[in-house]
Amino acid sequence: MSAQSSDGADPDLTPILDMVFQLITFFMLVINFKGASLDQSLQLPVLGSARPLEWKGDYEPLMLNVDNEGRVKVFGVVVLAEKFIADQAADLKKELRTAGESAPKELPVPVVLRVDKGTRFHLVNHIIKLCQENGYVQFSLSAMTGKGEGGN
Amino acid sequence: MSRRRHRRRNKNGVKLNVTAMLDMAFQLLAFFILTFRAAPIEGHLSLNMPPPIPQTDVETTQTVGTEGNSAPALHALHLFVTSTEAGDVAQVRLESNVIAAGRLTPATLAGIGRRLGPLFSARNVLYDRIQIEVDRNLRYEELLKLIDVCSQQKQPDGKSIGKVSFVEMQR
Repeated sequence: MSAQSSDGADPDLTPILDMVFQLITFFMLVINFKGASLDQSLQLPVLGSARPLEWKGDYEPLMLNVDNEGRVKVFGVVVLAEKFIADQAADLKKELRTAGESAPKELPVPVVLRVDKGTRFHLVNHIIKLCQENGYVQFSLSAMTGKGEGGN
Repeated sequence: MSRRRHRRRNKNGVKLNVTAMLDMAFQLLAFFILTFRAAPIEGHLSLNMPPPIPQTDVETTQTVGTEGNSAPALHALHLFVTSTEAGDVAQVRLESNVIAAGRLTPATLAGIGRRLGPLFSARNVLYDRIQIEVDRNLRYEELLKLIDVCSQQKQPDGKSIGKVSFVEMQR
């Protein structure tokens, strides 16, 4: 058994606390909770002319992740596209009515489509048509901005 | 006259027990580290994609935006894209003219852009949208390259063609 003095070891924890708080501050500043809605397993196409999405509307864009089998994923969970898009559109129309705006024929919110680069057209077109049927006409197609991104 | 202030300090000082605070700080740090996910460098191609106009006769130019106003009729330019089984572009047709064949390379895309450019910048012809009829097998990556070329076309007033519609090609 090790003997311990009555005073005990009394290290000064202030520097380590300072460092930990600095680290916490750093992570608080760079954390992005919206990143959870992005399906990182998708291999997006590369497009040099793609620009960051500049959306300053009052309502959040509808984010859809479409894998190469045409499945729609939201926050990592596969959802039934028909039901999900219809529900989102209905909620938005309800919000617009609550805000006193007349429900427009075309919804004033873009759909952010994150589609795997290997997805066949008919699968993508099915999702686009579902969105159009529910009043979405603005689309924002996601792509990686530089070569070497998006995987091969 | 300045009054010199002597800070009286207890020899033992006031000792705060920072252990509990450090525990909490470490827990917060662990949370932020575990939930941290570097944001990918993503860009977007923003488009207005209204539902396509039903097409019955390819040779007959269809018009949009003519209801109830005297503004000049705006046409939809039709592109047809066929694909190979692997999902690459086999052929791109502008109405009935083949404007590209084989895989899309930067040179091919530039060629398509050169063919489309004069059609949109001409003063007497006004297209306000491009309707692309696409083979169901085409890969999204290839399609996006074509959409990019189309969306870069400028109208006579300098505005980009922002409207693109898709139709699945009937086999």
